[in-house]
Parts: sequence; structure tokens; C-alpha cells
Amino acid sequence: MDFKDYYSALGVARDAGDDDIRKAYRKLARKYHPDVSKEADAETKMRDINEAKDVLSDKEKRAAYDQLADRVARGGSPDGGFNPPPGWDEGFEFRRGPAQGPSDHADFSEFFSSIFGNAARGGGGAGGQRAPYREKGEDHHAAIEISLEDALHGAERQISLQAQEIDAQGRPHLVHRTLDVKIPAGVRPGQFIRLSGQGLPGHGGEAAGDLYLEVRIAPHKLYRIEGHDLYMTLPITPTEAALGAQVTVPTPAGGHVDVTVPKGARNGMKLRLKERGLPGKTPGHLYLLLEIALPPADTDAARAAYEQLAKAAPFNPRQHLGA
Amino acid sequence: MRAITTTLIDSSPLTVRELARAVGAEDQWVLRLVEVEILHVDAPDQPPERWHFRSADLQRALAARRLERDFGANLDTAALILDLQTELRRLRAVLGAHHIA
Repeated sequence: MDFKDYYSALGVARDAGDDDIRKAYRKLARKYHPDVSKEADAETKMRDINEAKDVLSDKEKRAAYDQLADRVARGGSPDGGFNPPPGWDEGFEFRRGPAQGPSDHADFSEFFSSIFGNAARGGGGAGGQRAPYREKGEDHHAAIEISLEDALHGAERQISLQAQEIDAQGRPHLVHRTLDVKIPAGVRPGQFIRLSGQGLPGHGGEAAGDLYLEVRIAPHKLYRIEGHDLYMTLPITPTEAALGAQVTVPTPAGGHVDVTVPKGARNGMKLRLKERGLPGKTPGHLYLLLEIALPPADTDAARAAYEQLAKAAPFNPRQHLGA
Repeated sequence: MRAITTTLIDSSPLTVRELARAVGAEDQWVLRLVEVEILHVDAPDQPPERWHFRSADLQRALAARRLERDFGANLDTAALILDLQTELRRLRAVLGAHHIA
């Protein structure tokens, strides 16, 4: 794991004030926001600056990070890799004030997780050492990426989370835990699965918070997802396009279905297979985008057939250009 | 391994209180999101105790929280940004479907 320099990620000096950090963050966030950025690595950059801002704009996390950075600078690391030294964060507390919003650290790096804990982190040294109070535990967020097949058919998946817990001596340490998550059939990207009681523990006998898993669907080799609908490119021959045809196509749910390509079909034409998209109360459709593929003219017979076609059906596709 | 209850929030929607907790906010903040139309409820005339929120609402509430926290946006500005973002993504999907983008 590489040590991350949060100051250079934001392009600010080590003694930068809150205002400098805020300004630098906003400028970079506009540059790298995935909705507007033209940069190839916008998503990674955005993650890095979000992470840097999360740490540097929080007094407690920044102090802990600075101390760690000093220790790394003094001791170095033989292989350029990084592991947080044991007990590095003694005396620091990580808690979330109301102004800091949700703990949506699902996308942060392994480095961040190793020092501040992951989705289900245990809140550092905070709760247990303060005056007793009663409060339900905080809710947490993480993301889960599944295949389209899992989304269509439902699945049981194991996820691994790291939580920072306090041992009997009051020292924080990372605890790994594995959860069995049931993915309901028909789940769509952007939906949330709620795991009751898997957030932070409650205080004073109150219930634990919940963990929200945001569903992401990994890119599929055949289908592209748009809301409830699925899109697939369907290659057809010029003969099938010109004369019409029945072709067999695979369906996302498994199996095959016969589809009629209409006579005179054009490149880019969309055929709709009703309710063959993502299942649900309002099932999505499967759209087939026609793409005319040319047979290669790599034999004498094929070349002769092309020449014969040109004679039999004279055609100037550039007529509208006046050429 | 412990057995865990998992629910899709679209089949078991969240209350105002649950949505507020999920984004680390107060109930009042969620009511403001409805007021500025970042969130739409099926029955705005009903008391807030009867309102329900699904995945898309949680997505928008989280996004509004980030805009407020990271950019100091007020909720009216956040509402406009989120509407523009939704429209941008819709148009990109249309372009993608036609192999243009």
C-alpha cells in the first residue's frame, strides 16, 4: 500500500488553513467531477481529492494524519510500501459532527481504510470513553458490485468489511468481519440494500445503526443498462437487413428468443423486446440495436457476388452529397 | 457468520426519521428537502409521519448533503444542480443508446 500525500492531492501547503483547503477542494472538484470532466482519470482523481478533503478538513483526522506523516518521513519505508505503525493513533478520536454529513466512505482507498477504518468502522476511541448517553448507533454506507446475472436472478454474496474497535486496554485495532448479504432478484443499479443493525453500535443500550449497501452492476460483455432497460448490439448481415429475417438472440434471463428483423432494416434501428429488461413492478425492456456487418470479400466467389450485386442493384449512397 | 436481515429499501421504504439518520441529518432537514422539491413525496398533504422514501430519494438526499457540505450550497441551489445533473445523465443515456457518446 502506498502512503498518500493528502496535501499534494489538494495542492496545498502543510500549514494551509481551512479556507485554503476549502478553496482548493472546490476548484479541483469542478475540474474532476465525473459529470463534467474531460480528463481520462477523472473518477480516480475525484476519489483522491474527496478523500484528502475528508481528512484535512477534520481537525482530529488531520492531526492524526500529520503525526503519521511525520513518523513515515522520519522512519521511511524500505520497500516504498506503507503500513500504519501499531499504536500510531493513540490519543486521537474520530467522530463525526453533525455538519460533516454521512459517512459515505465507500469509495475511499485502502490507505484511508487502514488508518480511519472502512464502512463499518467503529468510531475510533470516541464513544466508550465519554460520559454515558443513550443514542441509536450511526448508519453507515458501503457499495457492493454484482454481476448482471446476480441482479437478475438474485444471489447470496459475502462481503468483507473492516471495523475499528477498541480493545480492553482502550487501544483501537482493526477487526475484519464477513457478512452474508442476500441480493434480491431484480435489483437495479443505484438501489440500496439495508442491513439492519450492521452500522455502529448504539450507546446506553440503544439499537445499533444500519448499514446501507449501494448496488453497482459490473459492466457486462453483452448488455448495457439504462434505468430498467437493457441494450444489446445485434449484428445482422446486409442480406438480413435488406430482405428481413428471423434471427435467434440470447436473452438476459438465460435462454434464447427468435426475433424478426424487418425488411429494409437500417443500421442503428432499435428493436424492442417488451419486458425482457430488468424485472420489477414495472419491468424494463430489452432493446436490440441493429448493426449491419459486411461479409468479407475474401474469396473469388464472394468478390463475384459483390460485383453481381452492384450490377443487379445499382445504388449511389452519396446521391444527397451531389457527387 | 451471523444471519442478517437484508431489505431492499424500495420494497420497504424509509420514514422521514430513517432517511434523516441514513444521511446523518436531522428530521427537519429532510422536510426542507421536500419543501425545495429535491425530494418528492406521493402524498404531500399527508403528515410527514406518513411519507415514504426509496433508493432514488436516498441517492438525492446524499447528493444534496455533499453539495451542502463540500460546496456550501444552499438547498435551493442544490435542487437546481441536482435537476441539471439528472437532465445531463438522461441526455447522455440517449446519446449512448444511439452510439453517439
